[in-house]
Amino acid sequence: MKKLLKYLSLYGAFFKASFVADLEYRFNFILLVASECIWYGTQLLLYEVIYRHTNIIGDWTLEQMRVFVFLALFVDSIYMILWDPNFSKFNDEVRKGNLDLLLTKPVNSMFMISSQKVSVSHIPCLLFTGAGLIWALQAIPDFSWYRLFWLFLLIPSGLSVIFVGRLALNSTAIIFSRADFLQYVWYSIFRLGLRPDAIYKGFLRYILLFVLPFAMVASIPTRFLLEPVQIGFIAWAVAMPVLLMTFMNWYWKFCMRFYSSASS
Amino acid sequence: MKKLFIAFWRRNLAFSELAIVSNLEYRFNFFIDAFVQPLITVGIELLMWFAIFEAANAAQIGGFGRESYLAYGVWAPFLGRIAVSWMYESMMVEEVASGSINVILTRPISFYEYYLSQLMGYKIATTFISMIAPLAVSLIFDLPIHYSRLPIAIGLVFYYLFLVHTLSFVISTFAFYMTRVRSLTLVKNLTLWLLAGELVPIDLMPPAIAKFLLLSPFPAGVYTPVAYITGRVGSELVLQSFISVTISTIIAIAIGAWLWRKGLQSYTGTGA
Repeated sequence: MKKLLKYLSLYGAFFKASFVADLEYRFNFILLVASECIWYGTQLLLYEVIYRHTNIIGDWTLEQMRVFVFLALFVDSIYMILWDPNFSKFNDEVRKGNLDLLLTKPVNSMFMISSQKVSVSHIPCLLFTGAGLIWALQAIPDFSWYRLFWLFLLIPSGLSVIFVGRLALNSTAIIFSRADFLQYVWYSIFRLGLRPDAIYKGFLRYILLFVLPFAMVASIPTRFLLEPVQIGFIAWAVAMPVLLMTFMNWYWKFCMRFYSSASS
Repeated sequence: MKKLFIAFWRRNLAFSELAIVSNLEYRFNFFIDAFVQPLITVGIELLMWFAIFEAANAAQIGGFGRESYLAYGVWAPFLGRIAVSWMYESMMVEEVASGSINVILTRPISFYEYYLSQLMGYKIATTFISMIAPLAVSLIFDLPIHYSRLPIAIGLVFYYLFLVHTLSFVISTFAFYMTRVRSLTLVKNLTLWLLAGELVPIDLMPPAIAKFLLLSPFPAGVYTPVAYITGRVGSELVLQSFISVTISTIIAIAIGAWLWRKGLQSYTGTGA
C-alpha cells in the first residue's frame, strides 16, 4: 500500500510538471489538440464513408460500428495521455544515454521510462471520445447502461495490451543500436486494434485474441456492450494482463543485458 | 550555364547518395521501414476490404469490384508512405530551431536544396525496396493493375514530393519565429494524409467533397496515381494533378522564400 502511494504521488508530480510544460506554449497546445481531432475524425470518417455503400461490415451495423470506433478511440486517448510521449522519445533516451539516469532511480525502471511525461493535450480528446461513445450507445435499441460497468475491467485489460506491445517493441531498440522505425511498425500493428475483430477469420482471429491480443483493446469490450456476455472472455480479460506484465518484466530484463550505456 | 548545371547536378547527387548511405547504415532499421511496415499495412487493408465485400454480399461498391478495392488497399498505403515527409521535416525544423543551420548557411548550397536532394535519395531507396511488397501481392492475387501506367504514377508521386518538401520548408521557417513547431508538422501531415485519399478512395466520398478534393493538389500523392494504375481514372486526371501540383508548388515556394528571408533577418545565430 505504501509503495502504491509512493508511485501515485510520483505520478501526481509528473502530471503537474507535464501540465505546466504543455500549457507553456498555448498555440502549440491548441495545434496538438487540433491534430488529434483530425486523426480521430479520420477514423470516424472511414466507416461513415464505407457505410454509405454497405449496410454491414463483419457483423456490425453502422450504429454498432460507431460504438466500436468511439470505444477504440477512447482507449487510445487514455493510452496517449498516459504513455505515448514517453514511448515516442524512448529511442532517443536510449541513444543519448538518458536511460542511465532513470535506471539509477530507486523506482521501477519501466515505470520511470514509461510515465515521466503525461500528454495533457489528449485530455480534450478523451472527453470528446467519451461523449461520442455515450452518443453512439444511445442509438442502440434497448441498451442496458449497466453494461458500461464491464469497461472497468475491459479497458485496463486492453490498455495492458497496448502498454506491453509498445514497450516490448521499444525495448527491442535496445538490442539493435538503431531501430527508430520500429516505432512506425507499432502504428501499423496498432491498426489491428482499430479494426473490428470480425474482419479477421479463423486462425488469424485466434492470434488476435490470444497471441497478439489487439482484439481485446476495443472489439471484445464492444461485444460486451452490445452482445451477450461470454464468460471465457472475462477470465481472459483478468488473466491476460498478468501474463503480459510477467512477459514484459522478463523481456525488459533480457533487453537490459544488451544496454551499453551511451553516456558513460 | 553548362558548368553551373554540372555543379548543381553533382552536389545534389552527392547529397542523395549521402541520404541513401546513411539510411542503409542501419540495415535492420531500413528493412523495417522499407519492407516490414508496408507489408503489415497492406495485410490489414486487404483483410478490411475482404470483410467489407463479404458482408456487403455485392459484386460492386461505388461502381467498382472487389479486386479494384483490394488493389487500392495494396497500393494506397505504399504510395502514401512515399508521399509524406516526417523524418526530413523534423530534421529541417530541428536545424533551424537549434541553430545548427549555421553550418548549412556557410555552404555553397541552399537549405532547401540540401534537404530536397536528401529526401529524394531516401525516397528512391525506400521506393525501390518497398515496391516488392505491393508488386508481389498484386501478382499473387492477380489484381487489376495496369503495370504500363506505373512509371507515370510513380513519377507523379515524386513530382508531388517537390510540393511536400516545399511545405516542409515552409513549416521549418516557422522555427525562426516559434519555439515549438512539431505540432504544425503533425497538423499538416495528418491533413495531407486525409486529403490525399489514402484512408478511403476519394470516389467513395460524397460527390461534392470528392469534386473539391480532386481540384486540390493533394490527391496527387495517393488517390490519383493509385486510381490511375487500377484503371479507376484516365490520364486526364493525372495531367490535372501535374498542373495543380505545379501551381501549388510555385505558390508554396513564394511563401517559403518570403518567410525564409524574413526569418533570416531576425535569426540571431544560436549556437554560432
